[in-house]
Amino acid sequence: MTPGQAFLWVLAIIALGFCFRKGPAAAHRAGVDAAKNLLKILPLFAVALPMAAFLAELIPADAAVAWIGPDSGFKGIAIGSVAGGLMPGGPFVTFPLVLAFAKAGAGVPQMVALVSGWCIFALHRIITWEYPVLGWRFVALRMISGLPLPIAAGLISELVVEVLPISLGVR
Amino acid sequence: MLHGRRASRRPDRTLPVPAPRRSLPAVTAFLRRHASLLVIAAISVAAGVALWRRDGGDAVGRALYHAWELFLFIMPSLLAGLLLAAALRQLMSPGALGRWMGADSGWMGLLVATIAGSLTPGGPMAAFPLVLVLAGAGADRGALVAYIMSWTLNGFQRVLVYELPLLGPNFAIMRVLITLPMPLLAGWVARRLPIAWEPPK
Repeated sequence: MTPGQAFLWVLAIIALGFCFRKGPAAAHRAGVDAAKNLLKILPLFAVALPMAAFLAELIPADAAVAWIGPDSGFKGIAIGSVAGGLMPGGPFVTFPLVLAFAKAGAGVPQMVALVSGWCIFALHRIITWEYPVLGWRFVALRMISGLPLPIAAGLISELVVEVLPISLGVR
Repeated sequence: MLHGRRASRRPDRTLPVPAPRRSLPAVTAFLRRHASLLVIAAISVAAGVALWRRDGGDAVGRALYHAWELFLFIMPSLLAGLLLAAALRQLMSPGALGRWMGADSGWMGLLVATIAGSLTPGGPMAAFPLVLVLAGAGADRGALVAYIMSWTLNGFQRVLVYELPLLGPNFAIMRVLITLPMPLLAGWVARRLPIAWEPPK
């Protein structure tokens, strides 16, 4: 178990402890809730992980270098931001895919832009959740105020990478 | 196959979707439930076939083994993350938080929204309806934009379960530190945009 996983388990056990203090019913509801969500996620994992693995094999080793490689600069950061917003699905889909990009030679600032762009713009999430629940005015507010952020994040991390040896911890 | 009248039979009627957009929510309710699974499954099959035709069955087997390894690697975090998320949902009281996020709450309100967002567990099915709860308790548009931005950029569950193990601690910590103040900025900008937003009744 990695330190990050251990930390997460400690947090989970502490939170469950607080639930028990509130009452066994609350703890039981939490357990049922977690189990239901696991059952919802497992089918997605079953298709998303093979997809990412197949794509990682299909994408040539240096395919991403020209577009979002470490030397692609501002252009690569802009491409990463837009491509991130177009990536479909939740984290169980996106992160394995991002891993495939990383293996294909993407640069660190470009990956920061890609991940941030996916977080902020996620088109599928706007269509299926944000617009129906909150309306287009909220979408517009959030999109306009968030527009420069993925590119800004990419540019800042380009400065960071020049000073610190940040690497992608690809397994 | 998706007509307006299906909207009245949607099982998730508890979601406060405004009445005039009836046909779209019917479509999106359907999409929401199955689209990602279908699209990903289709891409997965297509990619698998392409790999099989290019490199043969061995390559497909190797890729599937990699996928299985990745699954085993992510599983402990996933279980802990789901348990933590479910426990927090029993403990949190969004209404109390919303009172701190009013239109005249200034940077303090944006900060509360940012912290609340990064502590909010779960996917969009949990976070977006919570926005309505917070709005009902008095949170303004700037705070709510900050809240959603913080949840999506720096949500602890997503970072700890996915980003940290898959992309490595160096990368994850740097990205989170860089994007940490961004929800505050977005909320500040959103308060100044001339777009009025009322929570849908």
